[in-house]
Amino acid sequence: MVKLTMIARVTDGLPLAEGLDDGRDVSDADFYKQQVKSLFKNLSRGHNEASRMSVETGPYIFHYIIEGRVCYLTMCDRAYPKKLAFQYLEDLKNEFERTYGNQIETAARPYAFIKFDTFIQKTKKLYQDTRTQRNISKLNDELYEVHQIMTRNVQEVLGVGEKLDEVSQMSSRLTSESRIYADKAKDLNRQALIRKWAPVAIVLGVVFLLFWVKNKLW
Amino acid sequence: MGMENPNLPPRPSSAASLFLSSAPVAGSEALVIRSAPQAFSQFPTPPFSSGPVVGSQGSAFRPPPPGSSNELVRPTPSPVSSSYGPPPTGFQRFQNFAMHSTGQAAPPLPTAQPVVPPGPPPTGPPAGPRTLAPVPILSQPQPPSIPMRFPDSTKTEQIHTNVHPSQPFSLFRPNSQPSSTSMGPSFATGWAAYQPSFPGVANGHPNSVPQAPPLHPPSFSSQQGAYAPPAPASPFLSQQRSYGPAPLATSIGYPGIQTHDHGIAPPTGTPQGMAEDFSSLSLGSAPGSFDTGLDAEALPRPLDGHLELKSFAEMYPTNCSSTFLRLTTSGIPNSQSLASRWHLTVGAIVCPLAEAPAGEEVPVVNFATTGIVRCKRCRTYVNPYVTFTDNGRKWKCNMCSLLNDVQGDYFAHLDASGRRVDLDQRPELLKGSIELIAPAEYMVRPPMPPLFYFLIDVSISAAKSGVLEVVAQTIKSSLDSLPGYPRTQIGFITYDSTIHFYNMKSSLMQPQMMVISDLDDVFVPLPDDLLVNLSESRNVVEAFLDSLPSMFQDNMNVESAFGPALKAAFTVMSKVGGKVLIFQSTLPSLGVGRLRLRGDDIRVYGTDKEHLLRVPEDPFYKQMAADFTKFQIAVNVYAFSEKYTDIASLGTLAKYTGGQVYYYPSFQSSIHKCKLKHELTRDLTRETAWEAVMRIRCSKGVRFTSYHGNFMLRSTDLLALPAVDCDKAYAAQLSLDETLLTTQTVYFQVALLYTSSSGERRIRLHTAAAPVVTDLGEMYRLADTAAIVSMFSRLAIEKSLSYKLEDARNAVRIRIVKALREYRNLYAVQHRLSGRMIYPESLKFLPLYGLALCKSTPLRGGYGDVQLDECSAAGFTMMALPVKKLLKLLYPNLVRVDDLLLKSYPQIDESDIIKMRVHLTVKSLDTRGLYIFDDGFRFVIWLGGSISPDIGRKLLGEDFSGDYSKVSLSPRDNDMSIKLQKMLFKFRESDPSYFQLCHLVRQNEQPREATPTSATKCINFSSRSDEKGPTSLTPCLHPLEQNVYA
Repeated sequence: MVKLTMIARVTDGLPLAEGLDDGRDVSDADFYKQQVKSLFKNLSRGHNEASRMSVETGPYIFHYIIEGRVCYLTMCDRAYPKKLAFQYLEDLKNEFERTYGNQIETAARPYAFIKFDTFIQKTKKLYQDTRTQRNISKLNDELYEVHQIMTRNVQEVLGVGEKLDEVSQMSSRLTSESRIYADKAKDLNRQALIRKWAPVAIVLGVVFLLFWVKNKLW
Repeated sequence: MGMENPNLPPRPSSAASLFLSSAPVAGSEALVIRSAPQAFSQFPTPPFSSGPVVGSQGSAFRPPPPGSSNELVRPTPSPVSSSYGPPPTGFQRFQNFAMHSTGQAAPPLPTAQPVVPPGPPPTGPPAGPRTLAPVPILSQPQPPSIPMRFPDSTKTEQIHTNVHPSQPFSLFRPNSQPSSTSMGPSFATGWAAYQPSFPGVANGHPNSVPQAPPLHPPSFSSQQGAYAPPAPASPFLSQQRSYGPAPLATSIGYPGIQTHDHGIAPPTGTPQGMAEDFSSLSLGSAPGSFDTGLDAEALPRPLDGHLELKSFAEMYPTNCSSTFLRLTTSGIPNSQSLASRWHLTVGAIVCPLAEAPAGEEVPVVNFATTGIVRCKRCRTYVNPYVTFTDNGRKWKCNMCSLLNDVQGDYFAHLDASGRRVDLDQRPELLKGSIELIAPAEYMVRPPMPPLFYFLIDVSISAAKSGVLEVVAQTIKSSLDSLPGYPRTQIGFITYDSTIHFYNMKSSLMQPQMMVISDLDDVFVPLPDDLLVNLSESRNVVEAFLDSLPSMFQDNMNVESAFGPALKAAFTVMSKVGGKVLIFQSTLPSLGVGRLRLRGDDIRVYGTDKEHLLRVPEDPFYKQMAADFTKFQIAVNVYAFSEKYTDIASLGTLAKYTGGQVYYYPSFQSSIHKCKLKHELTRDLTRETAWEAVMRIRCSKGVRFTSYHGNFMLRSTDLLALPAVDCDKAYAAQLSLDETLLTTQTVYFQVALLYTSSSGERRIRLHTAAAPVVTDLGEMYRLADTAAIVSMFSRLAIEKSLSYKLEDARNAVRIRIVKALREYRNLYAVQHRLSGRMIYPESLKFLPLYGLALCKSTPLRGGYGDVQLDECSAAGFTMMALPVKKLLKLLYPNLVRVDDLLLKSYPQIDESDIIKMRVHLTVKSLDTRGLYIFDDGFRFVIWLGGSISPDIGRKLLGEDFSGDYSKVSLSPRDNDMSIKLQKMLFKFRESDPSYFQLCHLVRQNEQPREATPTSATKCINFSSRSDEKGPTSLTPCLHPLEQNVYA
């Protein structure tokens, strides 16, 4: 079952269209939407990913295809046939390119093609039930090959950016800490020097004091 | 202050030599220059008439020192005075000014000064531009134009004050706050010294003399020649004496404010104007007679429909239009004590989506990749009043004065005068009203499609009255023009004692009806297809609407399961939001939210429990409204019953969801069809903003504290408005945070974030500036009666929900009385109008509107006067009404038309009709006349008792002399009738929000029982203001008047 459908521009992650009453039966739809958004952001940052990909997240799975700088993404149950999901996205892509293909680059505001949601609704309904004759025949159709599509975990995908962040954080921590280390070393050095010569100085001092006292008394 | 201190050192020296050489003039120029940049930094574009002049003065000084443009922007202290302006030119200017403002007084002035340092100098200022104004006109044959004279007069003050070194420096700062005591002495002497210059006038009013012993007559004798006694003696004196009471005098220290003065009130510029100003200030018995009786005829009545503060708009040309934002007074009080003396609330009426004035489209701006430019701290959007500094790299927020960085792709260089070079391409920096395309951060979800859900009561009364038929027809005919094609969604529920859902799946031929009879636990029978896309299921929807009236034709069910149906609708819609239209014909009687008959117990009226009848009885309604708002659903209630339907409860749904209540008492399809059709069509097809939130930001120091209207407050200052359109206005009251406002201008910014029907997320911004004033008189002058009345009506209606009607009315009266008394205390003494009521020009209609408000439907009478439902419905309507329409409702138009009908005008022009408006008094009604009375909601056609039978016959046919209640004003086949219809059409066209039904009334004829209640009321209304006009006005004004004296 298709839960969520989103279409976005890859170049800057600008959302172009979205299925309307999506997430009706998903309890934490907002959480997944957020994930989708960060996924788009990742894509727009140029982490070049395969043009077809499945990403697991919790009980659901994202499927997306990237074609002509537009990313079509849907969220389904894990049990939903991968083949159908990609067929669905393929349908969306064909229609979207046909209607708005030439305006994609010039779209300046988010959800510029929100009118597309009526088509999304319609198509979604066709794919809702996996056991309809139409969908079964599609499933049996061997024309569309989905086996080689990679499946990864959402943490992994989103993690790429996180890892980079982590590395830069670590390096900056390293610099600041090495600086602290240098300061501390200098400090220690001084302390060592004091520790080394202090007894000698004290002894000499006492001796001189004695001498002085002696001179004074006498 | 602090910033100006560096200017101090050079001054004493120059001041010392002032009277001998022209050096000090240079010093004074420094001041002038200093004031110029101030004007610059504040207003990127010259905002009021003085702007350009001041600016040009600044530039006039620029040529001599090269590269001084920087200094114009940032005043540098002493060097400026020396480097700027070679002395001789300065002197010339000085003379110039003298010629202008004081006639031939210029030469004696310098010589006289050393003798009386504190005396004469302030004379100029306190007498100010106002008193000085007439002088040149009298002494010189041709009066100089206002913009010419007025920079001079401001300069006068600066030069004068500069003359004597002993004066505290604070007096120079236009925006500093010198306490009134500090300027008291100099001021009093100034005023006193001024006296002898008008010997004739002073003698005419002996009581002014003892207060004003001339201090240094000699110094003034030289000037006397210059001041010829002005022709309109009393206005002059009174004006001058108005400066007597020290605290309220706008005086030396406030050149800035005095300039505003002038910008606003051109009439004061000429003696004629002044004379007018003051004659209209007095109201009451004819001069000379001592009886305090009030002549109702003398009461000013508005004929121009609505009041506009034109001059204010001129002052700040970049302000948004007054249709969007109106302040009750454009002068914001600078201190809490001043605000508390202003009894008419300080606040604003906001109508964010009002139709823009003709020719002024609201420009749409897309920041696209830049992102929306906002202040980091106060989140104010960029607007015409922000200033760019640091060569365009920073901008200063006009609300909180934080310096923000200009983003890279928003950067533009500044030209020599500090304006951005790309200013012309930036509507957001030029216009007060703009619309921004919101980026994705302003969306919590994709823009919703317009959604209409119809909840139709199909019980017996609905079927009988013909509501169903009209509603079904109207919806069907407006399907094509519903906004938001092709995304529009639509759905229906009907209910009597059961709830009927309709499956409208596009693949069906006929809708499927599903009946749910379990009212305690309503469930939705289908997951989808109860709410369908209109463009896909068009056929099914049409089939449903066609069959709806016949389906329930013979329904004998008298129950109405309103509450459960409402819950069901909520469940269906909550995923998307949208608009619910409820068509209710009976009292909800089943399930949750059932209501009972209230209000037939006469004993309740007039007691403390009276208000309970006007608030919802069942908390269910408020709870439901809160839920609706949360899910972006607006509710519009259409009520049709002839019996009690508890609009007070039903209307609560509309009140908290930003909706509207339409009430058609005893709906009869033959009479009300047109009205319902028109209003429903308008409701469905007008441009609507969905899932909106609104916030009003304002400068530091002031704060909007309470909001009034139909909406739900989401946080302290965020208004949640599930649906807004051009017919909704909101009021907000302002309060001062700090005790003293130090800024000169306060800014307001209304931001409405909404989704348009086409699915765009937009932000509509209205920005306005208003001057801060230190003087109560100034506030009175800048008051806006229309906004005040709008505010009062909302406050009074709100008050009527928790107190008796009488209390609500009294509150309005008391406020008006207090305001007028305060004004009287300000000015009455010097006007010597002990027995008369005075009021400022700007508020001349306030008493009348206040009276009309007290007599308006929601506030009038008690039991038996207005039916409870009608009162509530009118209350809900008035809470949302924009300013103009409210004024028209309170003081309707009355036009005599029989002449027009008889004469053969080729074409009736709108302006002609407006010109023909007459006062709403019995005297303006001629028994031979035919009048149209139009309050925006209905027409009353009033036929005089002895109207020519010819007219009657032609308009009404043969039954002209018969029973009027049975006659309808249908178009007939003769030119007169056609002409009348045309005229009515014109009226309706000019006010399309509601449809005005015609009610016929003949003079001296009691309306029949059969006349619909609304018509009866309406006749009452007209009779109270028409026939009994004077009699009803006078007793009401009497206490008002007497209270003012008290």
